[in-house]
Amino acid sequence: MKTETRTSLGVGASAPRPDGALKVAGAFAYASDLWLDGMLWGATLRSPHPSAWIRSIDVGPALALPGVFAVLTHEDVPGAKFYGLEHADQPVLAVDQVRYQGEPVAIVAADHPETARRAAAAVVVEYEVRAAVTDARRAALDPACPLVHPGGNVVRHQPVRAGSAGSGAEVVVTGEYEVGMQDQAFLGPEAGLAVPADDGGVDLYVATQWLHVDRDQIAPCLALPEDKVRLTLAGVGGAFGAREDLSMQIHASMLALRTGRPVKIVYGREESFFGHVHRHPAWMRYEHGATADGRLVYVKAEIVLDGGAYCSSSPAVVGNAASLGVGPYEVENVWIDAYAAYTNNPPCGAMRGFGAVQACYAYESQMDRLAAACGLSPVEIRVRNAVSQGSRLATGQVIDSPAPLAAMLGELAAMPLPGPPAYAPSGSRRQGGSGARARGMIGTREEPDPRRLPGGVGRTTRGEGVRRGVGYGVGIKNICFSEGFDDYSTARVRVELLGGEPHALVHTAAAEVGQGLVAVQAQIARTELGVDRVTVAPADTSVGSAGSSSASRQSYVTGGAVKAACEAVRRRLEALAAADPGLSLGELLDRYGPVEETREYRHRPTVPLDPVTGQGDSHTQLALCVHRAVVDVDVELGLVKVVELAAVQDVGRILNPLALEGQIHGGSAQGLGLALLEEIQMRDGRVLNPSFTDYLIPTILDMPPMRLSILENPDPNAPYGLRGAGEPPTLSSTPAVAAAVRAATGLALPRVPIRPEDIALAHTG
Amino acid sequence: MIPFEYLRAGDPAEAVAAVAGRPGAAFLGGGTNLVDHMKLGVAGPDLLVDVSRLPLDRVEETAGGLRIGAAVRNSDLAAHPLVRERYPVLARALLSGASGQLRNVATTAGNLLQRTRCPYFQDVTTPCNKRVPGSGCSAAGGYTRYHAILGASEHCVATHPSDMAVAMVALDAVVAVLGPGGARTLPLAELYRLPGDAPQRDTVLEHGDLIIAVELPHLPFARRSAYRKVRDRASFSFALVSVAAALDLDGGLVRDVRLALGGVAHKPWRATRAEAELRGGPATEDAFRRAAEAELAAARPLPGNAFKVAMTRNAVVATLRALAEEGR
Repeated sequence: MKTETRTSLGVGASAPRPDGALKVAGAFAYASDLWLDGMLWGATLRSPHPSAWIRSIDVGPALALPGVFAVLTHEDVPGAKFYGLEHADQPVLAVDQVRYQGEPVAIVAADHPETARRAAAAVVVEYEVRAAVTDARRAALDPACPLVHPGGNVVRHQPVRAGSAGSGAEVVVTGEYEVGMQDQAFLGPEAGLAVPADDGGVDLYVATQWLHVDRDQIAPCLALPEDKVRLTLAGVGGAFGAREDLSMQIHASMLALRTGRPVKIVYGREESFFGHVHRHPAWMRYEHGATADGRLVYVKAEIVLDGGAYCSSSPAVVGNAASLGVGPYEVENVWIDAYAAYTNNPPCGAMRGFGAVQACYAYESQMDRLAAACGLSPVEIRVRNAVSQGSRLATGQVIDSPAPLAAMLGELAAMPLPGPPAYAPSGSRRQGGSGARARGMIGTREEPDPRRLPGGVGRTTRGEGVRRGVGYGVGIKNICFSEGFDDYSTARVRVELLGGEPHALVHTAAAEVGQGLVAVQAQIARTELGVDRVTVAPADTSVGSAGSSSASRQSYVTGGAVKAACEAVRRRLEALAAADPGLSLGELLDRYGPVEETREYRHRPTVPLDPVTGQGDSHTQLALCVHRAVVDVDVELGLVKVVELAAVQDVGRILNPLALEGQIHGGSAQGLGLALLEEIQMRDGRVLNPSFTDYLIPTILDMPPMRLSILENPDPNAPYGLRGAGEPPTLSSTPAVAAAVRAATGLALPRVPIRPEDIALAHTG
Repeated sequence: MIPFEYLRAGDPAEAVAAVAGRPGAAFLGGGTNLVDHMKLGVAGPDLLVDVSRLPLDRVEETAGGLRIGAAVRNSDLAAHPLVRERYPVLARALLSGASGQLRNVATTAGNLLQRTRCPYFQDVTTPCNKRVPGSGCSAAGGYTRYHAILGASEHCVATHPSDMAVAMVALDAVVAVLGPGGARTLPLAELYRLPGDAPQRDTVLEHGDLIIAVELPHLPFARRSAYRKVRDRASFSFALVSVAAALDLDGGLVRDVRLALGGVAHKPWRATRAEAELRGGPATEDAFRRAAEAELAAARPLPGNAFKVAMTRNAVVATLRALAEEGR
């Protein structure tokens, strides 16, 4: 085979995404756009109560409505009545009790979506309301707390014990920290279309993160063998963990099998808030002991996560919070207890950062307190304790690939700071002048552009009462699934002549959820095969599992599988070429026909944490990100403007620069949202803000420009040396923003999101 | 959503007759509030009378003031040259409300007639005296961060969400109404009710009353006016508190002042006590603070919103301080 010229859109190029232009133009088909002639519409009746016994369900009034084809309850579930990612504790439809507001109780299929909604509302359910358990700390730690599930309220308790309990510290700082319930806030609501098949099975088109784990949970509930439940990925409008658990999959399939008609279910925006898990709220108590010169001697921590009504992925979230609970710092003596507890709040599970986010906010807050106590700068305290390659984590695991945290901090601190504030310095209230004009101010009275100031176009200040602060945050995130999980992906690659030109078809079950994996898969094929024309086939279950689009793992694991399959194809082509020297690739394919290979790729094995000591090599890869936040705070009104976020991240190897920068920007924005805005407001087990009017995600006016430095210190264990990149920025931006607000105000601010009243009240009484 | 009929009215009188003759009928303007409530099950009109295309979409100059048609869209009103020139407080209040998309469809009258906001009002599975009179108030002992600190009752602690109305109340706006009994006018400040024991009624309008226009009187010193809105997010979020103010200075003294507050009560709150305190007094930060405190002496904060008292005071002081500095 003649040597091919290297393709221009291989690994390392900003290859365009096939879905990108369509999404921007509004022409991309999302799951909610699915349509089949003759299809029915499904709707879900949900519990209005966080905790209640179900005394009776009368579907008669719903069935009596014209246009209604089926009304199903738990009695109609053909197979297993319960499902779940880690434990099958969640009912397909509530059996005799409901454990959270919004829990599905009955499902309806009708010939019009509005008819389906009315029919669901016509189902008569008699509830006996029970007191709701809503305090996770009590649920976890108080033996007298009523039980949400008969087996006890503690979903998982994971200790970590290293060295000896604290002694020898010259400086001790303690703190209690709290993180509110964040939502993934994806734009595409839960949606799918179930089509009954002639073989008695079902074909399901759905927006999800992991087709095969969906299938593995759906099939038993439908009492069908796995090969009769076939899934195809439909257009996904964001995920961030919220599509890892099932939502409408079993319901639509049940309705399709019952009616013999295709059934589509699309959640509305409000329903979506009840239709997926959220990020665990956390209560964390930390104690750090250090030498007088700021070297850590010990860390003690108690971390309580609110798991809500069902297990979901809470055990793995606890594993992350425990194993990464100290952060990327060297410390001999560690005493951590991490818990997740059942409550009657909404189920909590996967969200970008997965347990590492909550701990990061707490340990970084502690590092700043320690810096102050030792008279060191925030950067210096972190540099003195920074891990590096060869460091040992609290779990005993040794970091065996590059981890240049001290250098990253140095680079971050050396980045230029943003220009002076767009207002007069504190003390002077007069505005204007040529300097102000030169900085592009708008308005008729030479006042600063309000978009640059706290409060934005609410014009709450023209600079008076505004103080600037700078803060740093450091995060460490495990990449890929941990704790002994058999984490693999499968890729099938076929090279053939299409229209006389060599063409590669890449087929995996990996879910494109917006991260850009569909582009990266094609880039890898181009690089490995030297073929320009590559198509990535739609993801479905006719190929082996790719694992989940979560844990920042798909470039690593599915990327590894595509690379391995391409290498296998290439070896066969090379063998053919050796037998037939002088032929081009096209000529070889013409003579010998298509070449196809399928490969599974696994990352290095990991082990579960020891349940008593928390020791074990539980992670396969660790990734670092550091942030610096610059904020302006109006201390009179409590309003914060993030002026700039700067970040340094080591990704091992850049596969697609444009997609990578998008990931870092997006993760940083999500972390900023947690720091200042995003919280599902809960009261007595009820969600009070299930809308994008009341659940506040950052707008472009809230998100500042970013300054990025991306490092490439390869991980020798990973394909191309890459390091998963999607989650780490989500960790470190939250504590960086919080630290900057603290620096501006001098307040402790032990809870995120930080609200205006947390600042303004403290200053004005 | 329950079934409803739809009628596009040809003229105001037809619209009034159509709604007046049907107890379950409602006017439809831009639909940005009513339609949301229909989706949530909070409102269930059986007839929608669309008034958004009535010929009420003009802004007309009156003797030194403006007459704003009820169907003028929020975006158009904010951009109107005379509004920007004579009543900058109104333009800024409009632009700080909602989002660009919403302002493009929301109408002047519809903005005034937004229902008060409370999460329990919007959640039909919870008791709410405004939605179901006599059912109880879930906000009592519940989540009250966005709720009233002034003028609330044990029956309701919701707040009015409009930014535009706060500015208009400060500007002494008058509302022109066409009802089944004919046309009348009333001061905007008197349009709104405090909840008392009938929180289901946000305004004094009777069924079938249609707002035709809003009249802004001649108020030369409103050229120096400002709107400040304190909110959680830089765009598209409701006020925690807001301040509309116009200031007329005579040297170092306050000759006249208009001051209204948003986010603090069941209605846009005209701060008459503070105004009285300020008139004729010195235009100093201390005086501004004393005036704000005089107004807020009547505040009865709830467990979740005590912060609003200090936040309102600070916002009032900052707004007046900036206006006073502009005047020097």
